[in-house]
Amino acid sequence: MAGTGSGRVPLPPTDAVVKTTVCEYCPVACGYKVYTWPVGDEGGTSAADNALGVDFPTTTLSGRWISETMHNVVRVNGERHNVVVLPDPDADVVNVGGTHSVRGGELAQKVYTPDGLTADRLTKPLLRVNGTLVPISWDMATDLVAELSTHTIAEHGELAWGMKIYSYQYYENVFAGSKLALGAIETPNYSPHHAPAEGDDVPGLSDCGIDAFSAAFADDAAAEVLFIAGSDPYETKTVRFTTWQQPGGATIVYVDPRRTFTANYAENSGGLHLQIVPGTDTALYMAIARVIVENNWWDDDFVSQHTASRGELDAEGKWRRVEFGRSFDQFREWITSTPEFALDRASEITGVPADKITRAAELISGGSGAQPKTTVLFEKGVYWSHNYENTAAIGNLGLLVGASGREGRATSRMGGHQRGGQKAAGYPIDKSPDEYDGHKLEMDTERWLVQGNTRFRWVVGTNWLGAMGATDALRKAVVELKAKGPEVTSTRYETALEQLKAQIDAGGLVIVHQEIYENDSTPYADIVLPAATWGEEDFARNNAERRLRIYEKFMDPPGEARPDWQIFAEVGRKMGFDGFDWPDTNAIFEEASEKSSGGRRDYAALVEKAKADGMRGHDLLRTFGTTGLQTPLSLEGGELVETVRRHADLQFNSDSGKANFVFADWDAVATRNEILGPDPSKDEVWVLNGRVNAVWNNMFDFVRRQNSVERWPSNFLEINPADADARGIVNGDLLSIESDGVLDQLGRAHKGGFTAVAYVSDIVPPGVTFTYFMYPGSPANNITSADSSLQPLNLRYNFKLGKGSITNLGPSGLAESMSFAPRNLAPGASS
Amino acid sequence: MPLSRRDFLLAGTAAGATIGVGVLVPLGFVLADDDDANGATGASLATFPRARVGSVSSLGVGDAQFFDYPYEGTPNVLVKLGERVPGGVGPDNDIVAYSNLCTHMGCPITTYEADSHTLGPCPCHFSSFDLSRDGIVGFGQATQNLARILLEVDGDGIYALGVYRLIYGHADNLAGEDLVVVSEGV
Ligand code: SF4
Ligand code: FES
Repeated sequence: MAGTGSGRVPLPPTDAVVKTTVCEYCPVACGYKVYTWPVGDEGGTSAADNALGVDFPTTTLSGRWISETMHNVVRVNGERHNVVVLPDPDADVVNVGGTHSVRGGELAQKVYTPDGLTADRLTKPLLRVNGTLVPISWDMATDLVAELSTHTIAEHGELAWGMKIYSYQYYENVFAGSKLALGAIETPNYSPHHAPAEGDDVPGLSDCGIDAFSAAFADDAAAEVLFIAGSDPYETKTVRFTTWQQPGGATIVYVDPRRTFTANYAENSGGLHLQIVPGTDTALYMAIARVIVENNWWDDDFVSQHTASRGELDAEGKWRRVEFGRSFDQFREWITSTPEFALDRASEITGVPADKITRAAELISGGSGAQPKTTVLFEKGVYWSHNYENTAAIGNLGLLVGASGREGRATSRMGGHQRGGQKAAGYPIDKSPDEYDGHKLEMDTERWLVQGNTRFRWVVGTNWLGAMGATDALRKAVVELKAKGPEVTSTRYETALEQLKAQIDAGGLVIVHQEIYENDSTPYADIVLPAATWGEEDFARNNAERRLRIYEKFMDPPGEARPDWQIFAEVGRKMGFDGFDWPDTNAIFEEASEKSSGGRRDYAALVEKAKADGMRGHDLLRTFGTTGLQTPLSLEGGELVETVRRHADLQFNSDSGKANFVFADWDAVATRNEILGPDPSKDEVWVLNGRVNAVWNNMFDFVRRQNSVERWPSNFLEINPADADARGIVNGDLLSIESDGVLDQLGRAHKGGFTAVAYVSDIVPPGVTFTYFMYPGSPANNITSADSSLQPLNLRYNFKLGKGSITNLGPSGLAESMSFAPRNLAPGASS
Repeated sequence: MPLSRRDFLLAGTAAGATIGVGVLVPLGFVLADDDDANGATGASLATFPRARVGSVSSLGVGDAQFFDYPYEGTPNVLVKLGERVPGGVGPDNDIVAYSNLCTHMGCPITTYEADSHTLGPCPCHFSSFDLSRDGIVGFGQATQNLARILLEVDGDGIYALGVYRLIYGHADNLAGEDLVVVSEGV
């Protein structure tokens, strides 16, 4: 139990067991220490009497204070133990000195407590019988999954067998899952948690030749100018901001339709907030570029030496680079001849005053003075609106100011999740039914499923039916598919197997859901497999600066829950595949290292060194504690050598080794905005969605935390006071948000909606509202479109471009209890 | 009447377990006469002192006054919100007090924005707290509400009676060895 309010926490005694781990949540991946010791024991308040080695009360910023939510009681080897999960006070990387955010700071509230708020963890395999989930044995569950998989593939082909799985999770789990789906079954019906298809999240940037995770956090600190777009770093990558970006003192140019904390911080400290109209990033970035080009402010040394000529581009092997790549001369010709990129026109389109566009150009390029160290950082607001065009445009901007490969100079994603996505095999793109202009594309697995082509889908570690565009339409299709064939009427293996096979053969859909908690997708599952997770197994993962660390096991998994890799391995063996007999998680870690070779995550050298030293890979990694190692790694003279930043040799990801500019089609963007944007004649507004500081993703942990549920007892809709007044809305009113132009997986328009509580705030401008993207029971994705043909080059949803009209349903009852405090108070405000 | 720690034990910590859209009243001061299951070790304070920390007549709406409690050098903020709140004292039930040591990493916060009842942003990592909602983290990185000072009004005097929730830096609010306890008020 959290014990909030008790006014005391037990201190770890000097003999507490100490493990090293990393925060489970955002891509910053702060280092943590975990202390466990039997309930009944307690350390004392003097330094000599506790494991932290400090006197209590501790001092300001000591990093050694244990708040009430940093403690919990868990089972270790079946015995009750205290656990304290403390941001590592000795950290000298990432969260230096033990700082943390509210999300990671309460990690101790995440763990399984049979008598606490996390008591509803999934603990047994379940089978839906007559509509109800009932417990079955692991042996029966994996027999069913293996038999149904084999049957589906034999009768309907491997394209009928699909896996929907996290792309970002621990190396060991992603590798094992992808080994089964891509390596053994070789299905193209495989897609990540956040998209309908495999493929690059930032293809425009990649086509520039730039690695999406090229920066080190030290670059943020060394930069003189930070250009940050599409994600508030304080709010969602907190420690990257508080430890690296803010103390580094760079002038911040911040792009966001909302006036968030970082927007105010930037403006209060000599920087700029470019408050952009949603969906117009390409015009803004190219207008800034045009000002730079017209004033001769670009980094001529970098551009002339390190960007490709037309001849070099024509010799590239990657078709998109040949087709959309541009030499500098072509780039200049294109942006200066596109009317929408001219200053005044771009100002109209983007809503950003012309003088701010000019000032931004001057800041990031240094104007007529010396080129400053500029770093360009972005995230989902950029690439989940107009994926290809925006990522190309921001890459172009980075190249123009030489933001690459040198200290304080990078162009990089900030990341959405941590990075453990090492797959075991390549994607079988030749089998995909999707293509663009004669070029194969990764399969749109959601469209494929809605069309009735997927007969078996294994959903792993994601709230699939809350996370996709037009998620209500997807659910409706699932319900229709699930009505085909007989219901399961018995837990007798033969009966259940026969009935599930009959569903598959009748054109139905069998769903396996592998999770730690039930979520919005579980009601549609036929088989539920309970997973063990963070703290319950040894795992490894990278962060957004490619820092590889171990996440140690420190407690028992709940009930019969098993780590994902074990489940994949058992099913793989039962299906008769070789290579699924790993004895432990370390064996997968070592095997995956071979596949990582040559890439951004390359840690083969670590495993090679471990073997040379007679150690296990995990054990060598453990010796690096919360510091870990920045990949790619190499061995020189028997010693491990890290990579602080990518492109440090000014070689880029292309055949020529040079970077290049990329064409971003503004007309395509404008057409899409016409389709997706609000229609003022219908009283529609933009309905944007995204993360907020206090919670994480589908809130699997955070609906089970007292503090976060008190902060957000409901989903909310930020609405400008002017828009609120016009509709008679006050804080705490319950709002119905509805859109009749939501495009489903097949491109058909339908009505979608969700309900949320009004949060009246000038954080959003008039005409723009904002909501949390995946609050349980309030699916914002009911109003985001899922028609991937809108972005034919790369099958990604326009999650950030929702619209809707608002109806006030009256008081929610939360006005008196929920906090409606401002969420963007930054220091140094002049008003 | 001085209160011992056990008087502050929270009844029903599972109140926050509601999932989805549901009404959660901030817990405020829920007192329970229960045994302290953890058992105190090495506490130097058996009970919290009763100390005068302000006067009703000199505290205007929107004012923020600072006082030490329960130890010398342990700062707190006293405010009159201008809005009736659970646990608020005084004629308008709107006087509240909290430790102003940030429950992120302990920096003292002295900025108070009266319009939104917000203490903050903290000078260290910019957390801010809603004093009209039991000191909840309105925005920022702290992992618990501000420690709240239990108040009573006697005549014109505002008195602190105890502390609910952990004060930054402490492992036990009553185990302030080597600290000087604020002297008991009249
Ligand atoms: S900043 Fe990110 S990694 Fe660090 S504690 Fe917070 S959520 Fe975890
Ligand atoms: S100490 Fe207050 S926000 Fe960190």
